[in-house]
Amino acid sequence: MKAKNNFCGSIEHGITRRAFFSRVGVGSALLGSSGAVHTFAEEGLTQALKASGKRVILLWLAGGASQMETWDPKPGRPTGGPFAAIPTSVPGVHICELMPEMAKRMKDLTIIRSLNSRNADHGGGAVLMMRGRQDEPTVKYPDLGAILAKEHGRADSKVPDYISLYTAGEGRDFSRVSSGFLGARFNPMKLAENMTPPNMKRLDSISDVDHHARADLQEMLNRQFITGRELPATKSHANAYARVHGLMSSEQLFDISKEPENVKKMYGPTLFGQQALMARRMVEAGVPFVRVARAWWDSHGQNFETHQEMVPELDRVMAALMDDLKQRGMQNDVLVVVMGEFGRTPTINSSLGRDHFGSAWSVAMFGGKLKRGVVYGKTDKDGKEVAENQVGAGHVFATILEAAGIPHDKEYHVGARPIPLVNPGIKPIKDILA
Amino acid sequence: MPSDPFKFKQTKEISRKDILLSVAREPESNRLFVGSSDSNVYLIDPAAEKAEPILLDGHSSYVTGIAVAGGFVVSGAYDGKLIWRDRKSLKTERVHKAHDKWIRAVEASPDGKYIASVADDMVCRVWDVASGKMKHELRGHESMTPSHFNSMLYACAFSNDGAHLATGDKVGHIVVWDMSSGKPVKTIESPGMYTWDPRARIHSIGGIRSLAFSPDNSVLAVGGMGKVGNIDHLEGKARLELFDWRAAKSIKVVECDKIKGLITRLAFHPKGDWLVGAGGDSKGGLVFFDAAGTKTLREESVPMHVHKFTATDSMDRLYLAGHNKLSIWELSV
Repeated sequence: MKAKNNFCGSIEHGITRRAFFSRVGVGSALLGSSGAVHTFAEEGLTQALKASGKRVILLWLAGGASQMETWDPKPGRPTGGPFAAIPTSVPGVHICELMPEMAKRMKDLTIIRSLNSRNADHGGGAVLMMRGRQDEPTVKYPDLGAILAKEHGRADSKVPDYISLYTAGEGRDFSRVSSGFLGARFNPMKLAENMTPPNMKRLDSISDVDHHARADLQEMLNRQFITGRELPATKSHANAYARVHGLMSSEQLFDISKEPENVKKMYGPTLFGQQALMARRMVEAGVPFVRVARAWWDSHGQNFETHQEMVPELDRVMAALMDDLKQRGMQNDVLVVVMGEFGRTPTINSSLGRDHFGSAWSVAMFGGKLKRGVVYGKTDKDGKEVAENQVGAGHVFATILEAAGIPHDKEYHVGARPIPLVNPGIKPIKDILA
Repeated sequence: MPSDPFKFKQTKEISRKDILLSVAREPESNRLFVGSSDSNVYLIDPAAEKAEPILLDGHSSYVTGIAVAGGFVVSGAYDGKLIWRDRKSLKTERVHKAHDKWIRAVEASPDGKYIASVADDMVCRVWDVASGKMKHELRGHESMTPSHFNSMLYACAFSNDGAHLATGDKVGHIVVWDMSSGKPVKTIESPGMYTWDPRARIHSIGGIRSLAFSPDNSVLAVGGMGKVGNIDHLEGKARLELFDWRAAKSIKVVECDKIKGLITRLAFHPKGDWLVGAGGDSKGGLVFFDAAGTKTLREESVPMHVHKFTATDSMDRLYLAGHNKLSIWELSV
């Protein structure tokens, strides 16, 4: 059987999300009783899901984390700061001592140390890293999440295709997540105030039976109405209702309380940890793109205190995600990207802070179609300039697309105009792709 | 006649490429031992026409504490090590891996028999200077903040009679210890020194950065920074809180009008004429409070953020160590 409404039409994609959720019990609330979204009843179903499009979790380090205090330490240099570098599970590769868990897991990690994004402005940098390029006056480009949603989302999806969790107040507007010319269908569901979408619960005054009866009635009326009126607007209207009902029935996807204690402990007690765990639940349920923003790293003053506070949390969360995905056999299906809008200056200012810096910084990734245990590029001894294999934001963007199973040279169309996913001439970093 | 803080003025400024994080004075010579961001200790004669520092290596990270005690100068660093050097020969006599995490401060007891080191392992250790043996291991500070992040133990100070030792941490918790028994005598809270931002930025700034007992040991002065709106910067007001520590009672809070940022060091005038603090944000500040610590007498800009200062016994000269500079202030007569 060939499934409807999927992009490639392959037999591997032949299980619709509706069928998936009905079988794993999201729609009928069986999910809650099992307490975990990974309880796939049938091996065939699991395999089919694995063969479907890759999913991406973006850990967005909003405000700009320091590459020196994470992936590219320069101990002993005037710019290096006070932290030591520690060896990792990859011989010869050292990272900051604040990341002992990731040091152990370096053999599964990929680091780009030679990113020159040429933009050290919060807003501009965020747009650049999320979209791989700056908008044109007449074209607003889709960001990573929107492209993943379009490529790996399903038209009949009951859950969102793109979720952005950004709870902190600072910098939320800088990130400008956007579907660009792809339109509102691929805009993210933004979770800002709480970890669950607002107004998601069925009103207490409406019984579950009434709720479903109303939905059935609405669907019947809708079907009758669109007969002979197959216009985009009517389809969109019907889809919107279907997605709202899907969301309401997938409420428990947003509830991490039923996760086993040992899993919750892995991710830690902080909000970032909880949101990363939720992101894992989302991608496991088939959401193509989840962004978890950890704000706010903008350490103009007291950079080392800030990083001593925040990097161990990042280390724990990344290690938890890596282990959790591996334990579930999802390490090749889910790409995890860790980056922000820029890095931080090598120069230490008079408040023991570091300022904005886009000229030589780092991005870390794991999973997906990446090589493991690779460090790409190099900065000079003080971390002031890229010394080898300089790449720009577009190259990183193209690499993420490829690692997520999307050809970087694919084109969309705005009217008759072909729009490539990345600017002409921009290639992915082949040395880090498997 | 009480000394007049308005008669202090900067008399010398020595530029450096490194960041000076700690300083101690050799009483006989007025030479200074300074701890540097380049992992070294330097011996500097600030009175010399052209100060040629003597380099003393041995640490592998920022040197954040130095104390001259007995015949030794003892330095502590973010590498967790304490290094004892003979003051005359400058030879390294002893190296202890004293703490598992960053050492934040090293202080000498008034009689020079003991030093105390505080570190981010949240332990204060008191050491016999002559033998190098640990006298006390003082554990009274939580390792994690209430928001589940690592805490830090920034400051310690001996009372002037050497009978007590105070320690202060990131969240504003202070413990006063009995030096003979090593037991806690009193705990005090100064939460106004700590800003946790749960909504906008989801991390923290501040902490107790300096402690000092009054000459009669009845009052404990606590220095840091007041509440901050934007914790990206040290933009809170420099803050002093005074405690009747035996009663665990806050006496007075003073926040500076001009100086922003942290008060990283506090010292009472030996006769109790005034109390002086220094620190700052991206700029440096020097502030004199009245003897009762109820108001600021003078707030003065200094050429750099000050990490630590030391003074002559009579406090007619202050040696400020900070970002790329050493600044010397003298009381004019």
